[in-house]
Amino acid sequence: MSVGAGAEATGFLYPFIDGQEKGTESLLTDLASSARSKVQESSALQCSTLVDCAEMLANAGAEMAARFASGGRMYAFGNGGSSTDAATFAALFAQPITGRPLPALNLAADQAVLTALGNDVGFELVFSRQIIAHSHSRDIAVAMSTSGSSADLMTALGEASRRGLLTIGFAGYDGGQMAGATEVDYCFVVGSQSIHRIQESQALLGYELWATVQRHLAADQHLGTDQHRAADKAAPMSQGPGGTA
Amino acid sequence: MPTALEGELEQLVGESGPVAGIPPDMLDGGLADDLAGASLAIARRFHAGATMWCVAPRWEPHAHHMAVEFVHPVIMGKRALPAFALCGPDVVAQTRVSVRPGDIVIAVADAGDRAVRDLMRRTPAWGALSVWIGSGARPPGGAADHVLWIEDPDPLAPATGRFVIMYHLLWELTHVCFEHSGLLSAPAAECTDEVCITCSDEGRLAEVILAPTSAFGTALVRTEAGEEHIDVTVVGPVSPGDLVLIHAGAALTRLDDEVVR
Repeated sequence: MSVGAGAEATGFLYPFIDGQEKGTESLLTDLASSARSKVQESSALQCSTLVDCAEMLANAGAEMAARFASGGRMYAFGNGGSSTDAATFAALFAQPITGRPLPALNLAADQAVLTALGNDVGFELVFSRQIIAHSHSRDIAVAMSTSGSSADLMTALGEASRRGLLTIGFAGYDGGQMAGATEVDYCFVVGSQSIHRIQESQALLGYELWATVQRHLAADQHLGTDQHRAADKAAPMSQGPGGTA
Repeated sequence: MPTALEGELEQLVGESGPVAGIPPDMLDGGLADDLAGASLAIARRFHAGATMWCVAPRWEPHAHHMAVEFVHPVIMGKRALPAFALCGPDVVAQTRVSVRPGDIVIAVADAGDRAVRDLMRRTPAWGALSVWIGSGARPPGGAADHVLWIEDPDPLAPATGRFVIMYHLLWELTHVCFEHSGLLSAPAAECTDEVCITCSDEGRLAEVILAPTSAFGTALVRTEAGEEHIDVTVVGPVSPGDLVLIHAGAALTRLDDEVVR
């Protein structure tokens, strides 16, 4: 990038305090302008990603809501920064500021389980072994990745799919192995080459998925109340209608 | 033709709120300059041997993400830097025991987070650079050396990528600074507050480590310069953890809880 070529030159020409201050000022200006252009890039990528994924978000959200409604829970997992994004995603479901809390777990949260599996059976199996131990067919598995090809995630998605779980993958670049895998029911691909920008768009995809699930559950609740009310028309409830959050 | 109920469902499910993501003008209003200033300060601290301590009590994954960003860079060939996430029920105690003079403490939290407010106000006594990322109502002026704030009241901002991009940018810009080795040595007295406490008559912040063991004894305190013994007769009895302002070897006044520097 072009940042600082000028600053270096200035620092060389004015090696004393004035020169250093001038170089600092010019560096700070370049840093601020670089930050602004990265934000604009990320914002545009978030918008185009949501447009590209709109239909998949609606369908995946509906299926997730149905599974939560029937008692299913969600397992989210990833590696490195993506593992923390998976944890944020799970926390959004389990401890939301608004809406219904839903059972969601981050499979990288337990250091005992993670190190036991990593040491005893190999890192490739750290998530799939947990899927085997914990899951039921009504559950949901969500893998977050930027490459879309991490072996531990692909193994876990394969295991989850064989067990009847709904499988969702988040990937970047061209989607990697996740994009073409039959074991992945919904694969959200953020078409970028930058790991940072990919993760920022994945965060918003996750948020939209959560919001879609919440809207479905609120709507189901609303309809349920209406049907109940219609059936009870002859004997109306003594209390007013309950709010639907 | 859809029934009334189906129509209602369609309306409820199709009703999506305003797009919650990263606004293109997110850095307007000074945030771009704040990020630039924080990145240079962080780069200078790392250059001088700092460790970065990351906390996010309400959204702990953000603390982990910040730490892994610096420890294991996503771009091959970039320097691995010392950074740790601190979690658990008492982030103040965790940070106090870990941090050394010259280090960096970075938090992701609301302005109302009591633990983080307490943590930030203690950092000058530990000699640590403080950086506070958050959204919603701003913390009071001077609550940290660098306040990187998104003034949007949406309580779900932490889950929409807006915080992630803030620390991604901090990492990216910090590494840009490393390419300018001539600018990495901070001026001799780095003045981050309005008044430089080392070159004026102002009191320095100190945190009590050990109270005096006798009526005329001194207290052991911690300041940005390290540990020292001071006279506390003016302020009266002190306990470990108390914050006092000291000058010329004596505590002049005690800072009450919630008095932000």
